[in-house]
Amino acid sequence: MSTELTVLALATLWQMVQFVLYALPANRELGPGYTMSARDREPARPMSDRTARLGRAFDNHTEWLLLFAIAVGVTELSGQGTPFTAACAWAYLIARVAYVPAYAFGLTPWRSLIWSVGILATLLMLLAALI
Amino acid sequence: MTELTLLAAYGILVLITLLLQVLGSMRTLSMGYLMSARDEPREVGLMTARIKRALDNSITAMALFAPAVLLLEVQDKTDNASLLACQVFLVARIIYLPVYALGVPAIRTLAWLAGFAATAILYLLAL
Repeated sequence: MSTELTVLALATLWQMVQFVLYALPANRELGPGYTMSARDREPARPMSDRTARLGRAFDNHTEWLLLFAIAVGVTELSGQGTPFTAACAWAYLIARVAYVPAYAFGLTPWRSLIWSVGILATLLMLLAALI
Repeated sequence: MTELTLLAAYGILVLITLLLQVLGSMRTLSMGYLMSARDEPREVGLMTARIKRALDNSITAMALFAPAVLLLEVQDKTDNASLLACQVFLVARIIYLPVYALGVPAIRTLAWLAGFAATAILYLLAL
Protein backbone atom coordinates (compact mmCIF):
# COMPACT_ATOMS: atom_id res chain seq x y z
CA MET A 1 0.00 0.00 0.00
CA SER A 2 1.30 3.45 -0.90
CA THR A 3 2.12 6.07 1.73
CA GLU A 4 -0.86 8.19 0.64
CA LEU A 5 -3.29 5.28 1.09
CA THR A 6 -1.79 4.35 4.46
CA VAL A 7 -2.13 7.93 5.65
CA LEU A 8 -5.73 8.05 4.41
CA ALA A 9 -6.55 4.94 6.46
CA LEU A 10 -4.81 6.47 9.49
CA ALA A 11 -6.65 9.77 9.03
CA THR A 12 -9.98 7.91 8.93
CA LEU A 13 -9.05 6.02 12.12
CA TRP A 14 -8.13 9.34 13.69
CA GLN A 15 -11.57 10.67 12.77
CA MET A 16 -13.10 7.71 14.66
CA VAL A 17 -10.90 8.55 17.65
CA GLN A 18 -12.14 12.14 17.37
CA PHE A 19 -15.70 10.87 17.49
CA VAL A 20 -15.00 9.02 20.76
CA LEU A 21 -13.19 12.06 22.21
CA TYR A 22 -16.35 14.08 21.55
CA ALA A 23 -19.05 11.49 22.28
CA LEU A 24 -17.77 10.45 25.73
CA PRO A 25 -17.85 13.90 27.39
CA ALA A 26 -21.02 14.84 25.45
CA ASN A 27 -22.83 11.79 26.87
CA ARG A 28 -21.54 12.48 30.35
CA GLU A 29 -22.65 16.13 30.24
CA LEU A 30 -25.99 15.78 28.45
CA GLY A 31 -26.93 12.40 29.89
CA PRO A 32 -27.79 9.25 27.90
CA GLY A 33 -31.50 10.04 28.36
CA TYR A 34 -31.03 13.02 26.07
CA THR A 35 -28.41 11.65 23.66
CA MET A 36 -30.40 8.43 23.06
CA SER A 37 -33.63 10.37 22.44
CA ALA A 38 -34.61 11.83 19.05
CA ARG A 39 -33.13 15.17 20.24
CA ASP A 40 -36.19 17.15 19.11
CA ARG A 41 -35.39 19.91 21.60
CA GLU A 42 -32.19 21.52 22.75
CA PRO A 43 -30.71 19.83 25.84
CA ALA A 44 -31.74 21.30 29.22
CA ARG A 45 -28.13 22.19 30.01
CA PRO A 46 -25.71 23.02 27.19
CA MET A 47 -22.49 21.03 26.96
CA SER A 48 -19.26 22.60 28.17
CA ASP A 49 -17.20 24.85 25.90
CA ARG A 50 -14.50 22.20 25.60
CA THR A 51 -16.91 19.46 24.53
CA ALA A 52 -18.58 21.80 22.04
CA ARG A 53 -15.11 22.56 20.63
CA LEU A 54 -14.40 18.83 20.24
CA GLY A 55 -17.73 18.57 18.41
CA ARG A 56 -16.82 21.40 16.03
CA ALA A 57 -13.36 19.87 15.48
CA PHE A 58 -15.06 16.57 14.57
CA ASP A 59 -17.51 18.28 12.17
CA ASN A 60 -14.67 20.19 10.55
CA HIS A 61 -12.64 17.02 9.98
CA THR A 62 -15.69 15.30 8.45
CA GLU A 63 -15.72 17.99 5.76
CA TRP A 64 -12.04 18.16 4.96
CA LEU A 65 -11.28 14.44 5.30
CA LEU A 66 -13.62 14.01 2.35
CA LEU A 67 -11.56 16.35 0.19
CA PHE A 68 -8.32 14.71 1.38
CA ALA A 69 -9.74 11.28 0.42
CA ILE A 70 -10.47 12.67 -3.05
CA ALA A 71 -6.93 14.04 -3.35
CA VAL A 72 -5.52 10.63 -2.39
CA GLY A 73 -7.95 8.77 -4.68
CA VAL A 74 -7.10 10.97 -7.68
CA THR A 75 -3.35 10.67 -6.98
CA GLU A 76 -3.54 6.88 -6.68
CA LEU A 77 -5.79 6.14 -9.64
CA SER A 78 -3.83 8.42 -11.98
CA GLY A 79 -0.55 6.88 -10.76
CA GLN A 80 0.88 10.28 -9.85
CA GLY A 81 2.19 9.51 -6.37
CA THR A 82 5.58 11.10 -5.65
CA PRO A 83 7.63 11.75 -2.49
CA PHE A 84 6.06 15.22 -2.60
CA THR A 85 2.47 13.93 -2.46
CA ALA A 86 3.49 11.47 0.29
CA ALA A 87 4.95 14.39 2.29
CA CYS A 88 1.70 16.34 1.74
CA ALA A 89 -0.29 13.38 3.07
CA TRP A 90 1.83 13.20 6.24
CA ALA A 91 1.57 16.98 6.70
CA TYR A 92 -2.21 16.64 6.46
CA LEU A 93 -2.38 13.91 9.11
CA ILE A 94 -0.01 15.65 11.52
CA ALA A 95 -1.98 18.90 11.17
CA ARG A 96 -5.32 17.17 11.76
CA VAL A 97 -4.00 15.42 14.88
CA ALA A 98 -2.55 18.67 16.25
CA TYR A 99 -5.79 20.52 15.39
CA VAL A 100 -7.81 18.69 18.06
CA PRO A 101 -5.83 19.74 21.17
CA ALA A 102 -5.33 23.21 19.63
CA TYR A 103 -9.11 23.54 19.33
CA ALA A 104 -9.94 21.92 22.69
CA PHE A 105 -7.57 24.23 24.57
CA GLY A 106 -8.49 27.27 22.45
CA LEU A 107 -4.91 27.92 21.33
CA THR A 108 -4.98 31.20 19.39
CA PRO A 109 -3.81 31.57 16.62
CA TRP A 110 -2.50 27.97 16.46
CA ARG A 111 -5.84 26.31 15.72
CA SER A 112 -6.27 28.49 12.61
CA LEU A 113 -2.67 28.05 11.48
CA ILE A 114 -2.75 24.27 11.97
CA TRP A 115 -6.06 24.08 10.09
CA SER A 116 -4.47 26.04 7.22
CA VAL A 117 -1.63 23.49 7.00
CA GLY A 118 -4.16 20.67 6.49
CA ILE A 119 -6.04 22.62 3.81
CA LEU A 120 -2.81 23.68 2.07
CA ALA A 121 -1.49 20.09 2.01
CA THR A 122 -4.74 18.95 0.37
CA LEU A 123 -4.62 21.81 -2.14
CA LEU A 124 -1.02 20.98 -3.10
CA MET A 125 -1.92 17.29 -3.64
CA LEU A 126 -4.82 18.26 -5.91
CA LEU A 127 -2.64 20.73 -7.85
CA ALA A 128 0.13 18.11 -8.19
CA ALA A 129 -2.44 15.74 -9.73
CA LEU A 130 -3.66 18.41 -12.18
CA ILE A 131 -0.27 19.71 -13.34
CA MET B 1 -9.15 15.65 -19.76
CA THR B 2 -10.43 12.72 -17.77
CA GLU B 3 -13.08 12.20 -15.10
CA LEU B 4 -10.29 12.23 -12.50
CA THR B 5 -9.07 15.62 -13.76
CA LEU B 6 -12.59 16.97 -13.40
CA LEU B 7 -12.88 15.54 -9.88
CA ALA B 8 -9.60 17.21 -8.88
CA ALA B 9 -10.80 20.46 -10.50
CA TYR B 10 -14.00 20.24 -8.47
CA GLY B 11 -11.88 19.88 -5.33
CA ILE B 12 -10.11 23.12 -6.30
CA LEU B 13 -13.52 24.79 -6.81
CA VAL B 14 -14.55 23.78 -3.28
CA LEU B 15 -11.30 25.26 -1.93
CA ILE B 16 -11.93 28.50 -3.85
CA THR B 17 -15.42 28.63 -2.28
CA LEU B 18 -13.81 28.08 1.13
CA LEU B 19 -11.33 30.91 0.46
CA LEU B 20 -14.16 33.30 -0.51
CA GLN B 21 -16.03 32.36 2.67
CA VAL B 22 -12.94 32.97 4.82
CA LEU B 23 -12.25 36.32 3.11
CA GLY B 24 -15.90 37.34 3.54
CA SER B 25 -15.82 36.40 7.24
CA MET B 26 -12.67 38.47 7.69
CA ARG B 27 -14.54 41.56 6.44
CA THR B 28 -17.29 41.35 9.07
CA LEU B 29 -15.59 39.53 11.97
CA SER B 30 -12.32 40.44 13.66
CA MET B 31 -9.25 38.24 13.23
CA GLY B 32 -9.18 37.86 17.00
CA TYR B 33 -12.61 36.23 16.95
CA LEU B 34 -11.91 34.12 13.86
CA MET B 35 -8.73 32.65 15.33
CA SER B 36 -10.34 32.04 18.74
CA ALA B 37 -12.27 28.87 19.57
CA ARG B 38 -15.53 30.66 18.53
CA ASP B 39 -17.46 29.50 21.58
CA GLU B 40 -20.17 32.12 20.85
CA PRO B 41 -21.48 31.95 17.26
CA ARG B 42 -21.52 35.27 15.40
CA GLU B 43 -23.41 36.47 12.32
CA VAL B 44 -21.62 37.16 9.05
CA GLY B 45 -22.82 39.40 6.22
CA LEU B 46 -25.57 38.39 3.77
CA MET B 47 -23.28 37.41 0.89
CA THR B 48 -20.82 35.57 3.15
CA ALA B 49 -23.72 33.61 4.65
CA ARG B 50 -24.78 32.64 1.12
CA ILE B 51 -21.26 31.56 0.23
CA LYS B 52 -21.18 29.50 3.44
CA ARG B 53 -24.42 27.76 2.43
CA ALA B 54 -23.04 27.24 -1.09
CA LEU B 55 -19.91 25.70 0.49
CA ASP B 56 -21.95 23.35 2.69
CA ASN B 57 -24.00 22.30 -0.31
CA SER B 58 -20.84 21.80 -2.43
CA ILE B 59 -19.34 19.53 0.22
CA THR B 60 -22.52 17.45 0.36
CA ALA B 61 -22.50 17.23 -3.45
CA MET B 62 -18.81 16.25 -3.33
CA ALA B 63 -19.59 13.30 -1.05
CA LEU B 64 -21.92 11.95 -3.75
CA PHE B 65 -19.90 12.93 -6.84
CA ALA B 66 -16.49 11.61 -5.74
CA PRO B 67 -17.51 7.96 -5.06
CA ALA B 68 -19.26 7.80 -8.45
CA VAL B 69 -16.13 8.97 -10.28
CA LEU B 70 -13.87 6.64 -8.28
CA LEU B 71 -16.25 3.69 -8.90
CA LEU B 72 -16.12 4.34 -12.65
CA GLU B 73 -12.33 4.67 -12.65
CA VAL B 74 -11.63 1.57 -10.57
CA GLN B 75 -13.91 -0.52 -12.79
CA ASP B 76 -12.43 1.04 -15.94
CA LYS B 77 -15.96 1.91 -17.04
CA THR B 78 -15.29 5.48 -18.14
CA ASP B 79 -16.59 6.47 -21.57
CA ASN B 80 -17.82 9.55 -23.45
CA ALA B 81 -21.08 9.58 -21.48
CA SER B 82 -19.33 9.58 -18.09
CA LEU B 83 -16.93 12.30 -19.27
CA LEU B 84 -19.85 14.44 -20.42
CA ALA B 85 -21.70 13.90 -17.13
CA CYS B 86 -18.60 15.00 -15.19
CA GLN B 87 -18.25 18.08 -17.40
CA VAL B 88 -21.92 18.97 -16.87
CA PHE B 89 -21.48 18.51 -13.12
CA LEU B 90 -18.43 20.79 -12.94
CA VAL B 91 -19.95 23.53 -15.14
CA ALA B 92 -23.22 23.41 -13.16
CA ARG B 93 -21.35 23.74 -9.85
CA ILE B 94 -19.22 26.61 -11.21
CA ILE B 95 -22.42 28.46 -12.18
CA TYR B 96 -24.03 27.59 -8.82
CA LEU B 97 -21.50 29.57 -6.76
CA PRO B 98 -21.80 33.13 -8.18
CA VAL B 99 -25.52 32.66 -8.78
CA TYR B 100 -25.98 31.77 -5.10
CA ALA B 101 -23.71 34.60 -3.90
CA LEU B 102 -25.67 37.14 -5.98
CA GLY B 103 -29.02 35.67 -4.94
CA VAL B 104 -30.31 34.76 -8.44
CA PRO B 105 -33.18 32.42 -7.54
CA ALA B 106 -34.31 30.12 -10.40
CA ILE B 107 -30.92 29.65 -12.07
CA ARG B 108 -29.38 28.53 -8.77
CA THR B 109 -31.97 25.77 -8.45
CA LEU B 110 -31.51 24.74 -12.09
CA ALA B 111 -27.72 24.60 -11.69
CA TRP B 112 -28.09 22.49 -8.54
CA LEU B 113 -30.52 20.19 -10.37
CA ALA B 114 -28.12 19.76 -13.32
CA GLY B 115 -25.31 18.77 -10.94
CA PHE B 116 -27.59 16.37 -9.09
CA ALA B 117 -28.83 14.76 -12.33
CA ALA B 118 -25.27 14.41 -13.66
CA THR B 119 -24.28 12.62 -10.44
CA ALA B 120 -27.26 10.26 -10.69
CA ILE B 121 -26.29 9.41 -14.29
CA LEU B 122 -22.73 8.62 -13.15
CA TYR B 123 -24.09 6.04 -10.68
CA LEU B 124 -26.27 4.49 -13.38
CA LEU B 125 -23.20 4.25 -15.62
CA ALA B 126 -21.12 2.76 -12.79
CA LEU B 127 -23.73 0.07 -12.16
